[in-house]
Order: sequence, then C-alpha cells, then structure tokens
Amino acid sequence: METAELKENLKKQIIQFLNLSVTPAEIKDDEPLFGEGLGLDSIDSIELIVLLGREYGITIQDPKEGRKILVDINTMVAYIEQHRTK
Amino acid sequence: MLFIHQYACISAQDSFPEVNLDAVIAPVDGKLFAREPAYDGIPKGTLRRMSKPVRMAIGAASVLLKTSGRLDGIIGATANAGMDDCFRFLQQIIQYEEGLLTPGNFVQSTPNAMPAQVSMMTQNHGYNMTHVHLGLAFENALIDASMLVDEHPGSKYLLGTVDDISAYNYNINRLGGWYKALNSHGDFYNAGTTGSIPGEGAAMFIVSSEKSGSIAGITAAETLHTEDAALVVDRLQTFLSLHLPNEVPDLLLSGENGDQQLLPFYEGCEQLLPPGTGVLRYKHLTGEFPTANALGLWFGCYILQHQRFPAHMVKVEPGVEKLRHILIYNNFKGLQHSFILLSGS
Repeated sequence: METAELKENLKKQIIQFLNLSVTPAEIKDDEPLFGEGLGLDSIDSIELIVLLGREYGITIQDPKEGRKILVDINTMVAYIEQHRTK
Repeated sequence: MLFIHQYACISAQDSFPEVNLDAVIAPVDGKLFAREPAYDGIPKGTLRRMSKPVRMAIGAASVLLKTSGRLDGIIGATANAGMDDCFRFLQQIIQYEEGLLTPGNFVQSTPNAMPAQVSMMTQNHGYNMTHVHLGLAFENALIDASMLVDEHPGSKYLLGTVDDISAYNYNINRLGGWYKALNSHGDFYNAGTTGSIPGEGAAMFIVSSEKSGSIAGITAAETLHTEDAALVVDRLQTFLSLHLPNEVPDLLLSGENGDQQLLPFYEGCEQLLPPGTGVLRYKHLTGEFPTANALGLWFGCYILQHQRFPAHMVKVEPGVEKLRHILIYNNFKGLQHSFILLSGS
C-alpha cells in the first residue's frame, strides 16, 4: 500500500474509532494528535493503541514507545510501515 | 421535606431548553424519541464519547449546574443505562476473542456513567450514587435524597434520571406485548388495547432541605411491589391519610399509559379521590419507560410553578383554580408502584 493511501485509511480509521466530527482532509499529516491539534486525550491514546493492534497487528507495550509513535499522522504511518504484521 | 429549586428535562416534546407543551409531537415509527438539543454547554471532546443516555442526562443537568452553586452530591437513577453501548462492548469481546478491548463503550454503558461524568465536570467529590431499581429507580433516588437532606440540613443535591430506547430493550418489550404500533396520539388512551408507546428522556432536579427559593416540595414518596390493584388503593388511602390528613390533592398526575391491562390500577386510584380532584396524564408526551415518572415529577413542578397545563393532558378538569397539592401515581408493568405527594412552595 502506498504511503498516501495508508495515511488516508489511517485518518478514516481514527475518525471512526474516536467518533470525531472531522473529515480525513481536515486532519493534517503533521498536526499534533494530542493537545493543540486534534485535541485527543489519554483515553483516546488507548483507543489508538487498540486501533494499531486490530488493524495492523502492531502491539505497543512500552508507554514511552507509544508517546513517540502517537505524535501525528506522519509518525504513526512511518511506524505502521515498519512494524505492521497484517 | 425535600424542596425542588430547579428542574430540567429532555423529552420527546419541546421541553428543553424552552418549554412549549401546547403542540404535541407525535411518535416516529411508533417510538417517542427524545428531542436532543445541540448540547452547547458540553465540551466537544467529551461529547463525542458520550452514549445517548449520558448525553441527555448531562445536557439536562448542565443547564441547572450553571446556577446551582456548590452541590453536596449527585444522585442518579436509571433502569437500563447505556444498553446499546453495553452490546457494542460485548460484541467487541466476541469479535476480538477477548483480546484488545477499548474502554469507551464499557465506561459509557455503566449505570453510574451519568453521576460520575457530572462529578468530573464539576469537580464534585461529594456523595455519588446511582439507583437501578428498574421502574422504581427514580423513586428510590428521590427517597435517598430525602433521607440525605434530613440527615444533613442545608445540603443540596443534583437528583436525576435517564433512560433511552435501546434496540435490545425495545425488541424484548415488543415481543413481550408491552408496545403497540401507534403513530399518532389520537388513540393513545382509548384504543382499548394492551401495550404503550416506548419513550425516553432525562429529568434533572436541584433539591435541598431549604424551602426558601424553591418551586415545590415533596411531602412524601412511597413505593410498593404488588400485582394487586386493591392493595395499591389501600396503600394510597393510608399514604394520603398520613401525609395529607386534613386536605385532598387538587390533582392526580397519572402515569396511565394506554395499556388496558394497567388501567384498573389507575382507575382504582382515581376513584379513591373525591369529586373535584383533577386528573392529568402525561405518557402520551413521554412514552413509557422505567424512569418515565421522573418526567411526571417534572410536569408536576411545571404545573405548580406556572399554574397551567395544556388541554391535551386533561382527563378530569380540576375543581379548583389554584393548584397546591399534586399526587403523582405511576406503575411500571403493573408491578412497581409509586406515590409522590408534591406541594407548591
């Protein structure tokens, strides 16, 4: 899967998992997911970790690792491309 | 005595934020769905995670919390809580073979989600309780609040209830014969058939022991479980002689719901009351659900405060102009009964 296509799919999945009222086009690739950007919080981070596991077969067990991955769409996609098992 | 200072309700009618009870809003597909507002007072990040019942409860509560001041606790009531979210969570367990589960649906499905959410939003660390006694959940919450204000004079609580039409409950109750297919109110009480219309809603009250500034006061509330209509009438007679010994109610606010099976209970109570006692009904506005009587109390507060009611609620016109005492009688499925005596402040 091309990176652009993966980004588009990931945005759709995030919107669906987190019940966000935005469109994929409104989520910028380098926009922070937490705090100022999309405004996600700690409960959402759990949802995102579960999303990575269910959709891409990625298990994140170290919270410090999670903080580096769940920064923005770019960092998530880069990690998915390297570690996905499905 | 428990005094009601503020009240709000999200229902199938125009009851929130402005109240207009003159125009009756009809069921859709045989269901009286709540008319949900835009929920401007709830942060969007919080709102997107809320299940429908939590959303309705918080929406109704938030308007009261703006002016309620410090609360000593939050007392909630629900029969079913977020049943749809509960089933989504259970589906996840099956779908992902008890593996990766997210907490959102589970958190939103629990009965105490509403009082807990209010507690977090208001940073209230006081008493926090949810009553789940099916058709008497609200009445038990109300009795809890009464006991608390008796024990702690001057204390103030948010008392509220919510239930919604979930697919699960609707299907079970429809198969059980508790619903009939009606898309207008014309035949609601006179169809001569069994079953009612499913409804949903949230009602919230700020209650305290302080009479000053209150809208109405609850003199007494009583619950009982029985299928015996004669016993209900007998208990009502005792209830009135104990709590309204030298007067009579001006109005009976009846939970009659169009189900002919349950009519003997309501008619028995009506016949006990002297001529001149008015009888109003509200289930054609709210539909039937386990905590619908909280909306009955909301109607009682509205009627006492404004001294008016729409003509479509009237079964028997009251004989007095100034309404002071309202008796609210409701039963759920002919088994769980409650009497609430409400008086103007």
